[in-house]
Formats: sequence, structure tokens, C-alpha cells
Amino acid sequence: MKKNLSFVIALVVTAALAAVPLFVKKDSLLTYLCMILLYVSLASSWNILGGYTGQVNLGHSAFFGLGAIATRLLWFAGWNILLAMLVGGLLAIAFALLIGSPAFKLRGAYFTIGTLALGQILYATVGNLFPQISSMPVQDLISYTLVTRYYLFLAVALITVLAATLVANSRWGLGMMAVREQEDAAESLGVNAFQHKLLALVLSAFLAGLAGGAFAFFQIGYYPQYPFSPIWTLDSTMMAYIGGTGTILGPIIGAIFFVVLKEVLSLNLAEFHPTVFGILFILVVLFLPGGFMGLWKRIKDKQQKKRESMAELSHP
Amino acid sequence: MKSKFGVALVILLLVSLMATSCAPKAVETEAPVVTEAPATEAPAETEAPAVTEEATYPPAPEFIELGSSISLTGNFGSLGNLILPGYQIAVEHINAEGGVFVKEYNTKIPLRLTYYDDESDPTKAVSKMETLFSEHELTAYLGGGGSSMHAASIPIAEKNKVPYLGISFALYKIHQQGYKYLFSPFPKSPNQTEDVFKILNEAIPEGERPTKVAVFAYNDDWGKEWGGLVKERAPEYGYEIVVYEENPVGVNDWTAAIQKAKAAGAEMLLTLPIFPDGSGMFKTMAELGWTPKFSLVIRAPEGVNWGESLGKIGEYVTIFPGWHHGAKFEGVDKLNARYEELYGRPADLLTGPAYACVQILAQAIEKAGTLDRDVIRDTIASGEFSTVIGKVTFNADGTGNVLDPLIQWQNGKMELVWPAEHATAPLIYPAPAFEDR
Repeated sequence: MKKNLSFVIALVVTAALAAVPLFVKKDSLLTYLCMILLYVSLASSWNILGGYTGQVNLGHSAFFGLGAIATRLLWFAGWNILLAMLVGGLLAIAFALLIGSPAFKLRGAYFTIGTLALGQILYATVGNLFPQISSMPVQDLISYTLVTRYYLFLAVALITVLAATLVANSRWGLGMMAVREQEDAAESLGVNAFQHKLLALVLSAFLAGLAGGAFAFFQIGYYPQYPFSPIWTLDSTMMAYIGGTGTILGPIIGAIFFVVLKEVLSLNLAEFHPTVFGILFILVVLFLPGGFMGLWKRIKDKQQKKRESMAELSHP
Repeated sequence: MKSKFGVALVILLLVSLMATSCAPKAVETEAPVVTEAPATEAPAETEAPAVTEEATYPPAPEFIELGSSISLTGNFGSLGNLILPGYQIAVEHINAEGGVFVKEYNTKIPLRLTYYDDESDPTKAVSKMETLFSEHELTAYLGGGGSSMHAASIPIAEKNKVPYLGISFALYKIHQQGYKYLFSPFPKSPNQTEDVFKILNEAIPEGERPTKVAVFAYNDDWGKEWGGLVKERAPEYGYEIVVYEENPVGVNDWTAAIQKAKAAGAEMLLTLPIFPDGSGMFKTMAELGWTPKFSLVIRAPEGVNWGESLGKIGEYVTIFPGWHHGAKFEGVDKLNARYEELYGRPADLLTGPAYACVQILAQAIEKAGTLDRDVIRDTIASGEFSTVIGKVTFNADGTGNVLDPLIQWQNGKMELVWPAEHATAPLIYPAPAFEDR
């Protein structure tokens, strides 16, 4: 019954999202929704490695950037956008496989610092190799429509959430969580930690690469280095933590909360908004360990205990 | 449950992908509806012949809406915080006179500036530009600072067909994209790379000129554009590039380049570093004992921190910032006086060009006699405007024909040294050796 209800809610929400362009005609709102969907994809893809497998990756923007740069180059060369995005995703996988082996020799904070360094190296290298602005030809602006971009972002977000759901409920997902909880213990039980971490990295990278491809299709003018900026990693990581890592809904809620709150503050508080946002973020971290999903779990646990004690009282 | 959820997601996914592939590449449909009647609309036929003049004009909007997505925080925050006061003071001054007369409504309408901080993030700039367009009946956009922010914002203005006036970027490449709604009353790379040689040839007798040139550039887009133009222009004016060094942005070690320049006997340095690089470069030059007779250093010395940080080492360096508060144009004193009241100093380098953007817009609206954005765009493109940065006209690519004053650090202050009719001090040439200062 409960599972059926979740299914119906998921169906209604996704159908409503698919119908948004039929009712929303303002570019500002569509742009805003595109940003939320993009961040849902990024935070959810980060969560596969960071949340389920416990490997805090601070080089996530490298995969996003690789997807963006490959898609942009191929799309500008006349490729179909979906095909270009697929190549972008595959390029991100190739990079993940390349760095996976050396990176997973590092553990804990060393892995985190290692991935941060890799991201920074790529950021600097792309800045040097592609210093020119990438801008959509002005004649193409006539046919530029946000609705197409919105559907692309929605598709990528759906793929990402679907992949995270399938992984979380699979044997592989259980293995990843075991690695997260205690890597040595997991290995002693026959879980190949390296394989599980590598699979999580590859999947996370591919999905971030697809998100990068959608970004390349959306943003009209930017420097190719920009999608490699560490800000994409930091924002996605924050979103996953705010919502709750290691859950399906956490990164989604975190992305919505993060984007909406930031936008509301920046539209109303001008240059003071980063300070206010920073304070709010600290409050969330202090009072909501485990993020919003953690809070939800605590409320449910409390209710469960209450029910159990009531049951004990009525049947001593 | 899992399988049902999966099936539902897959179906929706396929629908989304199909929509992405098949969606018509139509022109945006959600252009804002301008509710005001057009200027040419005839009065209602039922009106009596002796109608009052007011009755023949449509009701005027409360404000002429200007919008700006500007960086007040983040990497470009320092630029945005110099530009914004220029916009604000100009709006304040124009509104003090009642606003801008718009013939279409036969009345003066005050300006209203709405600005949002884009956090120096190009994606947020896009979102802010769209919000400004959707939520306000915008007449024009005013740009922020930094070429990457302009690169993100200008296409949105173009897409929405709203005039965009932007300063604080010398990158010419942006103007070569074919944008129709972009106007920039700010010197660009082609002006700067030609003016430096023209000024030197005008100010210094032949035989005393620093003809051996060292160029230190970044391998970013502006560095490449600027460096390429210098290479082209130098021989035309009798100069020779003896050292051309390129470094990635953020590499703060120019030792090898300086040693090469010293060994080649370079007498002039042309460079455009960001502040920490420029500061490091000059400290190293002083240590290594290479003093160019003339240094044009764009970007790094444009803030007061140059003088504070380098002291005598930073003296005699020249810059092309686009404006100086000592310029003798109408309105400069008024701008300086207000800036002094607010910030305790004369207007900053970027404040003047920002102020000029609003002046250009106000004059264009008045000349156009309407708030129709296309008519205003055409009027900006073809008109001549009197501003605090002088007379301004625009080329077909949106670049402004503007004065490109040369500023020199002298005694811890930025002095305007060229053109002579605006100069606050004469050019000091050659620069004394570092050890003699």
C-alpha cells in the first residue's frame, strides 16, 4: 500500500514536471527550473559515489566539465545533441577509469584531497588549452528555445534519479553501502571494495557527464573552463549534505532547497545574501545532522517509538 | 514497487527525450506584452475635435525600467562595486530633473534601476537576466564587469531583443559575434594597442622613443587578442617586439621573461596582468634591476591597492582604464561631487563609463521619443551622445568611439597624462630606474 503510494506520488510529480512548459511561459521561471533539474542531476550523481559508497569526491566538476566540453565541440560540429551528450558521458567514464585505479589507492581524506587536485589540474589545463569564449552563433539565437533545454534537463535528471534508485536497491548498492560503513569488514565478507567503488565512480561520472552535456546545450556563451570550476562540485556536495547523503530523495530536496533559497535571498538582499545564506547553511548543518532526510527519519523513529510504547501500555 | 517505479520513470524519460529531439526550434513565444499603446495610435474617433493635449497621449508608465545583472560578490565583485555607483548616481541625477522626456507620452518619466547580484557566476547571470526581463518591463540592460560575465549576459539581451550597454571589458572578440543589441562605450583591444604607439610618437621625439618592446601576455583570449594586435601594430609605428612571453593566468613568476627582456635591451613593457601577478612582476623587475623607460600595464594598477602595495616600485606605470575623474567633460564635476559625498573620493575609473551608459540611454530614449526597444536600439546605433566620457558614437559592431585616456601613477596618485587638453599632469618619461626612486 505504502509502496504503491510512493509510486503514484513519483508518477504524478514527474508527469507534472513534464507538463510544466505547457503552463509556464516565463523564461525566468523555466531557466530557474532548468537550474534546479541540473543540480538535481549533479547532486544525485555525486551521491552515488559520495553518499552510497562513502567516497567524498571533490573532483566531480571534472566529469561535468568533460561532458560539457565534448558535447559542445561535437554539437557545434553538427552532431545530434543527444549523440554528442552520450559521447560526453563516455568521455567522463574514460577519465573515471583512468583515475579510478590510482585514486582508490587513497582512502578517506587523502582520496578527497586527491580528487580535488585532479579537478583543479583539469580546470587549469582546459583554461590553457581552450582560452577562447565559446558562444552560440548569433543567428542560432533566433531558434533558441528554453523548452527544449528544459526537457533535456528533465531527461537527465530522470535518468540520474532512476539510476540512483536502481543502484540503491540492487546487490551492488548493498555492497557499496557496506564499503561505506566499513571497507575492511565488507572485504572480509567477500565484497570487492575496489570493484564497487569503481562502479560507483563510473556511474557517477557518466551521469555528471550527461549533465555537463545538457549544460553545454543550455548556456549560450561561456568559457570552456567554466564547467570545470570547483564551484560545481562544492554546490553539489552541499546539496547532497543538506538533503541527506545516501538517500534517493536527499539530493533532490537539497538541490531544490539550495537553489530556491539562494535565488530568493539574492533577489531580495543584494550583496548581503551570501552572508545570510552562509548563516542559514551553518544552522542546517548544526541542527540537522543527516540533512532533511535525517530529520524526517528522526521524526518517523520518534512516532514509531511512541506507537510502540502506546501498544505496550494497552497490552502490558 | 521497484519495477513499477522504474517503468514509470523510463516512460517519462522517453517522452522527455522525444520532446527534446522533436521540439520545434521556434522563436521564443513569451515576449512580454507591451500594454502601452503605440505612439502612432490615433485618438478614439468618438472624441470631440477640441480634445485637450493630454487626452491624445497614452498614460505613461510609472518608470523607465533598467535592469542589471552585476557581480557584487565573487571574483568580479570589485568591478561591479565600482560600476554600480555610476549607474545609481546617473539615475539619481536624471531623476532629479524629473526623468527622461518621452515624446510618445509627452511627459518626463523617471528611471528605475533594478539590479541583482550574479555572484560572478555566468549561469546565475543568465538566470538574473531572464528574471529582469520577465518580471520588469525592461527598456534596457546595463552590464556588469568582466568579459566572462558579459559573454554570458549579452546573448540573453540579444535573444530578448533588449539594448545592452556594458563596460569594463576590452575584449574585441565579443563584438565580432554579430550581436545587434550590444553597445560598449569602452576602449577595446584595437584602440589600446594602437593608441599606445600613437601617444608615444606624439609625446616623445624620435630617437628618444622606447622602440624595443617586451610583451608579457597571458595565454587567455584577451591576452592572445591583445598580444596579436601589438605584434601587428608595433612595426607600423616604428617599434620592434624583442621579447614576447606568454604565461597561463595565475602564474605569478615572470622571472624568466624579465631576464629575457633585460638581456634583449627592451625599453618598453606592454602587459595586462591581474593584480597579484602585476604586483609580483614589478617587485621582480626591481630585484633584477630592469627598469623599462615606459610601461603600459593594463588591469593590475587600476585599483588603489597598486600604490599601497608597491609604493615607489609602482610609480610611473601607465594604464588605459577608459576614463579618469580629471577629464574635462560636462557633468564630471557633478559626478565627482556626489561620489565624494558618498565615498570620500573623486569618482573611480569605472564609475565614469558606467555613468555614461545611463546618459547614453537617457539621451537615446529622448531622441527616439518612445520606449520601443528596437527604436531605442537604432537610435543608440546611429546617434551621438554627450557624456562624462566625452562625445560617444557607436560602430556597427557596437564598439564605442570613445576617448582612450592614458593615466600614469605619479606620487602615489593616478594622473591623467593624455590627451593634453584633459591632462592633470605631464607624462613622466623616461621612468627613473628603480634604484634611483
